[in-house]
Amino acid sequence: MEREIVVPGDMLGEDPKLSGSGTYVQDGKVYSANYGLVDRRSSIKVIPLSGRYIPARSDLVIGKVVDVTFSNWIVDINSPYEGLLHLSEFPERVDPANMNKYLHAGELIIARVADVDPTMKVELTMRDEHLRILKQGRVIDISHVKIPRVIGRNGSMISMLKKDLNVSIFVGQNGRIWLKGDEKKVDLAIRTIFKIEREAHTSGLTDSIKDYLNKELEQLRNT
Amino acid sequence: MSEDIIAEIKRDYIYSLANQGDRADGRKFDEFRPISIEVGVINKAEGSSRVMIGQSQVVVGVKVQPGEPFPDTPDTGVIITNLELVPLASPSFETGPPREDAIELARVVDRGVRESGAIDLSKLCIESGQKVWMVFIDVHVLDHDGNLMDAASLGAIAALRNTTMPYARYGLGEDVKLPLKDVPVGITAVNIGGVIMLDPSLDEENVASCKLTVITNKEGALAGMQKSGVGTLTPDEVKYIVHIAKDKANVLREKLEGLS
Amino acid sequence: MTKPEKLIVDGKRLDGRGPLDLRPIKFKAGVLKRADGSCYLEFGGNKVMAAVYGPREVHPRHLQNSSRAIVRYRYNMAAFSVEDRKRPGPDRRSIEISKVSREALECVVLEALYPRSAIDIFVEILQADAGTRAAGINAASVALADAGIPMKCLVSACAVGKVDDTLVLDLNKDEDNYGQADLPIAVTQFGDVSLCQMDGHLTEEEFGQAVDMAIVGCKKLHEMQKQALVEKYGEMVSPQAEEAEAQKADGGERSE
Repeated sequence: MEREIVVPGDMLGEDPKLSGSGTYVQDGKVYSANYGLVDRRSSIKVIPLSGRYIPARSDLVIGKVVDVTFSNWIVDINSPYEGLLHLSEFPERVDPANMNKYLHAGELIIARVADVDPTMKVELTMRDEHLRILKQGRVIDISHVKIPRVIGRNGSMISMLKKDLNVSIFVGQNGRIWLKGDEKKVDLAIRTIFKIEREAHTSGLTDSIKDYLNKELEQLRNT
Repeated sequence: MSEDIIAEIKRDYIYSLANQGDRADGRKFDEFRPISIEVGVINKAEGSSRVMIGQSQVVVGVKVQPGEPFPDTPDTGVIITNLELVPLASPSFETGPPREDAIELARVVDRGVRESGAIDLSKLCIESGQKVWMVFIDVHVLDHDGNLMDAASLGAIAALRNTTMPYARYGLGEDVKLPLKDVPVGITAVNIGGVIMLDPSLDEENVASCKLTVITNKEGALAGMQKSGVGTLTPDEVKYIVHIAKDKANVLREKLEGLS
Repeated sequence: MTKPEKLIVDGKRLDGRGPLDLRPIKFKAGVLKRADGSCYLEFGGNKVMAAVYGPREVHPRHLQNSSRAIVRYRYNMAAFSVEDRKRPGPDRRSIEISKVSREALECVVLEALYPRSAIDIFVEILQADAGTRAAGINAASVALADAGIPMKCLVSACAVGKVDDTLVLDLNKDEDNYGQADLPIAVTQFGDVSLCQMDGHLTEEEFGQAVDMAIVGCKKLHEMQKQALVEKYGEMVSPQAEEAEAQKADGGERSE
């Protein structure tokens, strides 16, 4: 059985109890609310093929500082909702009169979404291990719905990339990915990630990517 | 808007690449992205084109209608160029009347067409002092991925070459092609840390210190220029850009000539 | 252009169509780079580009709604889209069309999912040939889905008219100019009418028939809209592949 592409309004089932994410119930039937792929393995779910990132608590994201107010940095997290980083959530003690000294507009950070309230006020924190300002390296944006494919089952895809290419990679839930390493290898990693993004909905992706990587690495070795 | 703030590491990357002779998409400094030109795409217009440079996309329509001449030039036709940065083309375009960036683009396209004498306005008189042909060039930007200037100017001249004067509709005889005497082509360069590159991508345009557009005619003479942005160029850099723009314009001109 | 003597000859319209035939239609989803979702549509002689940005931040901020997304729709005609060049900028007709089109689509958008945000729909008419507002709504529906905006269903639209006392589906330019009535209608997939405007002269009975005809036309359009969205991906996915698809990874992947 192939996994179908469905559009909003497609009728997916007649048992309202099976309605999962991406679906809704009307007149006792289950309908798709999304443009995406149906997954009928337990409940009926529709995984969207596109859409903007909506922050959820404990997500790890890559943010871009866009403004500084008297006690918060305003952070673009590639979402309709901006993130607020309060000065108390910065890993060091911050002099409130001099916030720009610690973090200024244009800088990229790895942060955790600490809280999202019902009005979609998003609070970020940098007070965990691994959270930091990103100096150097490169950052790319992909559609956040493809991030699970870039990570792979149990991290298999991303581990393969990191190991085979020997580059550092951080994948943000919000569709931003940071890479650092040898220039040519980082270029290849980026090309590979865009390939995963394009082909995310296809089957046999891991093999296809493995083959692609091997071929490209071979070419690199020969030049 | 937050799109307008460029991440520092992205900026640093583009500048460091420029320093070592490279560009993020692997192009050479004088290389254009793939260009596609289609004409006759809007049949309600007297002439039209659709141009893509990379993923930047514009549709240009030329409408030719009789109208009143300007009082001080009773026997001369009128060219009016307008450009719309419609909000669907970029998250940073807003609704509302054209702002300074749209106006600048329109006026530079106009300059190229007008100053090259491409359209012989004296041939556009219908009735001295009463009626002349008005040539409206309307550029509709559909997708902004950098260097809208060259896409717009290429689109304008392609649409003009595709234009038929609607004589028959107004009882003035048989339709004829719009008489064109020249083929002005605009080429835009950006300055990234003293490195000059042509056809800036969106990212390159956003991090460059300034841009320079050079419009040349068939003979390689200059018909128009525009520097845009707060950075500066040395006189040698300006001369260098004029020099490479001339050659590049010929390449684009050949593409135009290759169309029917 | 003078009025043709007859608009229907031997049961066929001047362009060769029967009364229930739609003009040639071509949808293409996902055609623009910057927009979150887009759709290019050729509907008879109409050439329409629709694009959606959203959900995104609301500017100006005072327009925000704390419990749902606001939906905005802007219908705009390019200067070269019509016979006599149109001055750029919104005119009263465009503003009215924008309003009713927005209302036609807003009823299916699941706005409550995105408080304090905006879903912006832009429709550019590049070439006009009667029925532009219906074409706009058809393209906008596809663009909304392409952008990943959750909706109850798609919305389809078409116009029914009366020419030479005969009801016809999907008016062309002459039929629109010289006909006796014009009735653009939009329906959701469940058959609910979300746009209904009319000018001209129709009896109650004619109106009833016209609505039924429009619904048949809209059903056909709906199939094409869905097709365009499915075609964009070109391939099916098999379930035994990449179970990561279904397992949204919990938390981000740590680096180094």
